Amino acid sequence: MAMDMDLMLAKIKDRQWALADIDWDAPGAETITDEFRPKLKAFMADLCWIENVGARGFAAMATKAPTPTIAEIYRYFHAEEQRHANAELALMKRWGMLDEGELPEPSVNIRLAIEWLDTYADDMPLSVLGTVIPMLEVALDGALLKFLLEEVHDPVCHQVFEHINNDESRHIAVDFEVLDMIGHAKARKLAIEFVGNLASPGLIIGALMYVPLLNRMRNNIVDMGLQPERLYTAMGRFKKLGDRGEHTHRVPLYQVLKVHAGMVVDPRHPYHLVANRMVWLSERYPRALLRPIPTWFKELTYEPVSVGTTQDADLPGARTGDRMDVA
Amino acid sequence: MTRTCTTLVIGAGFTGLGTAIKLREAGVEDVVILERADRVGGTWRDATYPGAACDIPSLLYSFSFAPNPSWSRAYSPSAEILRHIEDLAERHGLLPLIELQTEVTALELDEEAGEWVVSTDRGTTFRARTVVVASGPLSDASLPDIRGLESYEGARILSARWDHDQDLAGKHVAVIGTGASAVQIVPELVKTAASVKVFQRTAGWVMPRVDLPIPGPARLAFAAVPRLQGLARTALFVSHEVAATGLVWDTPVTGLIQQLGRAHLRLTVRDPWLRRQLTPDFRAGCKRMLMSSDYYPALQQDNCKLITWPIATFTPDGIQTSDGIRHELDAVVFATGYDVHLDGPPYPVTGLGGRSLSDDWQGHAEAYKSASVHGYPNLFFTTGPNSGPGHNSLLVYVEGQIDYAVSGIRTILDRDLHQLDVKADVQRRYNEQMQRRLARTTWMSGCSSWYLTADGHNASMYPGFATQYRRQMKTFRTRDYDLVERRVARAVGLAPVG
Repeated sequence: MAMDMDLMLAKIKDRQWALADIDWDAPGAETITDEFRPKLKAFMADLCWIENVGARGFAAMATKAPTPTIAEIYRYFHAEEQRHANAELALMKRWGMLDEGELPEPSVNIRLAIEWLDTYADDMPLSVLGTVIPMLEVALDGALLKFLLEEVHDPVCHQVFEHINNDESRHIAVDFEVLDMIGHAKARKLAIEFVGNLASPGLIIGALMYVPLLNRMRNNIVDMGLQPERLYTAMGRFKKLGDRGEHTHRVPLYQVLKVHAGMVVDPRHPYHLVANRMVWLSERYPRALLRPIPTWFKELTYEPVSVGTTQDADLPGARTGDRMDVA
Repeated sequence: MTRTCTTLVIGAGFTGLGTAIKLREAGVEDVVILERADRVGGTWRDATYPGAACDIPSLLYSFSFAPNPSWSRAYSPSAEILRHIEDLAERHGLLPLIELQTEVTALELDEEAGEWVVSTDRGTTFRARTVVVASGPLSDASLPDIRGLESYEGARILSARWDHDQDLAGKHVAVIGTGASAVQIVPELVKTAASVKVFQRTAGWVMPRVDLPIPGPARLAFAAVPRLQGLARTALFVSHEVAATGLVWDTPVTGLIQQLGRAHLRLTVRDPWLRRQLTPDFRAGCKRMLMSSDYYPALQQDNCKLITWPIATFTPDGIQTSDGIRHELDAVVFATGYDVHLDGPPYPVTGLGGRSLSDDWQGHAEAYKSASVHGYPNLFFTTGPNSGPGHNSLLVYVEGQIDYAVSGIRTILDRDLHQLDVKADVQRRYNEQMQRRLARTTWMSGCSSWYLTADGHNASMYPGFATQYRRQMKTFRTRDYDLVERRVARAVGLAPVG
């Protein structure tokens, strides 16, 4: 049965939470060992930026949503992804990973993802964004969050991720519902959009950005001593949830991502030779070519309460986003 | 206590006073004006928020029959407009006609007498052969329905009823809404407040407003040669009419207007993300156009921030947005507009056979030429259904409505009518034509606005040039109405023999 989007929107509005709902000084921060901290910091930094990249994706989707209600839902999801990133930053602050006013440096793959989003996302049709975003949410978010809860025993972290997981379950439900709606379009429209975009620089560059981003995350997880199966299970979930939809299978890009997911989950697949080479190459991407970080990226904050504007940074409790030392 | 008059006008704003002036010119002297407030001025008496001004040039935002040669600026501030309205009332000797602090509570037709019985909150009842509703579409405002608002402990200020006891200097202030009043309030607030956070739901199209002072010599020339002012007014009128080709109808000109809006944005906002946040996602004209040259610069001041995250809830200290952040605030300004009465005046109106206007207009309001409604004889609406302009001065339209009401009232008096009631089929055909014409307008191009009812029906805007509207209001065709003469009414026992 089709999801009642009005009910979903009402539910989303009912389930809003804030950083201030959480006691960031509660005991438990000491459970993070000095040995684990640097690895966790790198992991959290990527996670938090991925949330923020997802947020930007939803902002692009809001402008092309099939109904005003779904547009409004995406507007909330955009904000909720930002909330997750803010909460993850607050956890990093709690664990002593950030100095006052410091925000973690995004990796080069994240920087490239940002550039791609800022350049192409607003012009991408819903059939592209509506397929890629669920993949990102399920594969990266789902896998990473579950892993974190197994590795970290800080009760505040669990409290935060309970909130985040609840939000994400709604995101994923809507994502796949919309993906099914996309699949309901005329085959000709789907084919034309797919072929048209396949040849577009947007999608080609997007793929070049996406492949190393995904493998970098996979490698990070492995470095932390985790079996990459966690990520593979999540990617399998993309297939499972997608195949549940009546029309999802008709979306060409969904089929492509499914095949791609099949290659990613096979550790012996030659794909990894190429993908890891791309990670290596991206590490050597000339930093001078990277454009300045857009201001939406600097809206992140670990401060639960904002008094005044960002520029009032010297005021107690002011948001610190603009003091971020990246450019 | 009951008083009787020939014509009763509800409201002493621009429209009510203009109606009284024109009625007297037409020889109708026995006029009563009811005003709920303690002074005249309507919207311009109430709109006293910082920066309040008209967004149509003053030379055009005034009656052609009562020009003001001494406007100080191209777009005059509200206090000056209010002074002009008060001056109108005084100069035309209208003050004795006005019953201040008298709010209409009901309007009921006495069919037998052929009179409207107008009840008021002061207990006084008026009986009038004819009534002109001039209470305006934008005269009521209330706090919006936002989650948790009742828990908020700071100051709440409605833009339409500015609380001047609140000193916002040095305070942390939020402005909710980014419509016509917000773009005027924000640039003023940033001058003195410690911080201003502007909460935006939908970005509007903002056009530059070149608000220059009118030099003294020009004012002297307008006073000495009224024809000169008339010419300037005509030039402004024509230029606004040209804009209708893009603002009323969805045409390639609409695209050009959007390009102008985007160019304004590019020239004044450097940051691409802020530009994206401020770029509207609907066709220009679909919602009210915003006129401001200082709104975009104000948003980029150090102490100002545009927030586009949805408001999750109010808290006792301020506002919590969906990005999980609580904003501590000393005061919140609600620039959320007015309670638009698309379903009729905010008091019961009972017509022929006990029919109720709010029932008749439930769902979709409709009238003939925006002025007459079948079943409600001898009653004339101003700013009625499908009379709103999207591109020109409201007062140009109001002049047409006043002319029409005066013609109708003159007809009733001259032919000694008991009843003048627009024919149902005439009204129906007119509205069918309106809705057909509306289909091609920008207002119906897919955005949600206060012009439309919840189900997307447009009962507020006139789909055409102001010139067309004025032309239709110039002719009062009695054949469109059912006329019952008093002597006939008496003969058939409908009216008392008097």
